[in-house]
Amino acid sequence: MRRAGKHFFKGSVFPADNDSAFLLDVHRRGVPGRERMRRHRDEDEVDLLVVGCGAGGSVLAQRLARAGWRIVVLDRGPFWDPDEDWVSDEEGAHHLYWNDKRIVGGQDPVELGKNNSGHGVGGSMVHYAGYAPRFHPSDFETRTRDGVGYDWPIAYWDLKAHYERVERELPVAGQDWPWGDPHSYPHAPHPICGAAERAWAGARAHGIEMRVGPVAITNGVFGNRPHCIYRGFCLQGCKVNAKGSPLVTHVPDAIEHGVEIRSDSMAVRVELDEASGRVAGVTYVEVGTGRERFQRAAAVAVCGYSIESPRLLLNSTSKHFPHGLANGSDQVGRYVMVQGASQVAGRFPELLRMYKAPPPEVSSEDFYETEESRGFARGFSIQTVSPLPIGWAEHVLADGHRGAALREYMRDYNHWAVLGSLCELLPLPENRVTLADEQDQFGMPVARFDYTQCENDRANIAYSKQTMHAIFETADAQDVLTIDRYAHLVGGCRMGFGPETSVVDSGHRAWGVPNLFVCDGSVMPTQGSANPALTIMALASRLAGLLARKRGSSQRGFAAGIRAGGEP
Amino acid sequence: MAPDFRRPHHLPKVRGDLGADPAELPRQRRGKTPQMHGRYPDYDCLEHAGHWDALTRRVVLDRVEQVPELRFFTAAEAAALGAFCDVVLAQDAEPRIPVLALVDRKLAEGRLDGYQYADMPDDRETWRLVAAGLDHSARERSTDSYAASPLELQQRIMDAFAEAELSGGAWETLNVKHAWGVVMRSVLAAFYSHPWAWNEIGFGGPAYPRGYARLGIGLSEAWEGDEAFDLDPGSDL
Repeated sequence: MRRAGKHFFKGSVFPADNDSAFLLDVHRRGVPGRERMRRHRDEDEVDLLVVGCGAGGSVLAQRLARAGWRIVVLDRGPFWDPDEDWVSDEEGAHHLYWNDKRIVGGQDPVELGKNNSGHGVGGSMVHYAGYAPRFHPSDFETRTRDGVGYDWPIAYWDLKAHYERVERELPVAGQDWPWGDPHSYPHAPHPICGAAERAWAGARAHGIEMRVGPVAITNGVFGNRPHCIYRGFCLQGCKVNAKGSPLVTHVPDAIEHGVEIRSDSMAVRVELDEASGRVAGVTYVEVGTGRERFQRAAAVAVCGYSIESPRLLLNSTSKHFPHGLANGSDQVGRYVMVQGASQVAGRFPELLRMYKAPPPEVSSEDFYETEESRGFARGFSIQTVSPLPIGWAEHVLADGHRGAALREYMRDYNHWAVLGSLCELLPLPENRVTLADEQDQFGMPVARFDYTQCENDRANIAYSKQTMHAIFETADAQDVLTIDRYAHLVGGCRMGFGPETSVVDSGHRAWGVPNLFVCDGSVMPTQGSANPALTIMALASRLAGLLARKRGSSQRGFAAGIRAGGEP
Repeated sequence: MAPDFRRPHHLPKVRGDLGADPAELPRQRRGKTPQMHGRYPDYDCLEHAGHWDALTRRVVLDRVEQVPELRFFTAAEAAALGAFCDVVLAQDAEPRIPVLALVDRKLAEGRLDGYQYADMPDDRETWRLVAAGLDHSARERSTDSYAASPLELQQRIMDAFAEAELSGGAWETLNVKHAWGVVMRSVLAAFYSHPWAWNEIGFGGPAYPRGYARLGIGLSEAWEGDEAFDLDPGSDL
């Protein structure tokens, strides 16, 4: 009945095995039940210790808690209460970003912080735009198909069921999707603002297909999650609870099933038991007190994303792994990727007021796949983006305007529509995270991230800008402004076929450390031209399925198995 | 003749060498904008502060009502950087948004942005070096300091900073291009987080919990400001 109903009752399909939306309060945004959250002692050996409560860690914890595992999740940041901790303001969202020092280098250094790095329970999905597209089947075999990048040890079809499941949990709203593996979404598309209408009309006239969505924002009845109010502050944290992030989509259900989320806890070392070759737990620092603690665990899942996961592993040295845990082949921290995310703005006669409605509105994947005539491998997607005033000022400045000219373009804010690209930039070994000489307030070396584009990357970015310019020309834009920037992070602990060329296997298990897993965006060998959040969640969902399925009938089977050293 | 903002003739790239011309703009009739000119002379987002949630209201109103004393910058640094902020934002008259005071508070509280270029010092040190560098460049051009330079020279040094063409003195310890990025990131965040700037550009403000309902081309909420081009019948005629 549920399957049959899916196509007829959009907005009414509730996900199986995740009650988060009903566990939330109707009138308050904070996660209820924290005061009665289960607590574990440091000396208790929990079944799984998760480091990082973002897209990967929270889905993994929620799933396995339902399978009966005893789980603790550490997160460096606070346990957010949107009512108390967040404001509906661009600059006031500064504390949602990872603001601890990191060093950026290379020929094309990547801005971190608000651009791509989360902080606190919910991770960077707390301040992501909400775009939740799937990867294409081709993304998993770019080496075979296009001779670039790297093949994944898994295929799109291994993730498909998990994409569908996560899309129901977020839930994702959008038009039927014609690209990649064509699919539909559980919620209907949202209305769009004037700026997106303008950009869409231009694309249509230029022969480019665009569709509304897909965004992880409720559109209709969904438990106790309210409807979107179109205030446009998705990137500043959703005070409404309409936009899906793990804080509202998986954390409530995880807590209900016994997960302990220990916020304000900075993991500094994963400890290896040299005798057995297995990890014994994680040393972490309480942010408020500076006290160092050690949590024992039968297994550890590192879910800190592309900078912090490699940093934690590199800092976890031992006699067996003198250069960092699971880093016997110098693979940890390599092949970190960002997407080229240039934006082009077009000026129109009417007031468009792009600050209204969620910034992500319509997008196109017409250019996603390799097209030889373009002169480079792989491609890009195009999405509307709607910067708020500070973001728009950065856009104007980047086009070379300051003083009176900057102010004039700023006054013109309401006449502009903005398109952004997501270019698939290729994985390169020297684009990597290492440890810098400097230490942070926890005594841990800060991460250094070096990034340099290759020729294929530059050609891809240039072509994407040319395409967006052409769209606005066709739409009769009166002026255009361009900014070059990057978006998203993936890679750094990639999954692969062997320990010489990757960090984890197809089951997310670190080569050579049987009870250490990595489950976040860092395991991705390539990045596609899609926003990574949904894929990170789908990977975590798949891993949870693998681990839970192999546990056998006993509730403690996995933990017992992992202690004995066998395959779970 | 009053300008028609449906046409792009006023935009800097369209005007070419003429640059922008705020003299064509109407004076603000309601609330405040920086220098009291704007596109939406009858729109004051602060009149709607009662519709914002209390937490957001406090944060936004503090930017207007609780201008912090300088704690981070020395008097000499503040002179150079204050003049620089005025020039780069074309704040040539009162009322001015207190950009440097907002930046100073952020630096004094150590609220940094989560990354530092490998060839650059800490952001706080960068700001101090930029202050020294601006004075150095002014002295190279035979004035006592950046703040004491004529406006035209201040603008030329600012342009050279933006193009990473400054050298000597403190600039030698910085990657000038990255220093421009570090400084402008904070300058723009301070200026365009201020509600007077929102009045000038017609931005709706926090909009929580009220939200928006009229999203299409040319549509406005009843309370949103309209662009006005006409002269003020009360004072201009």
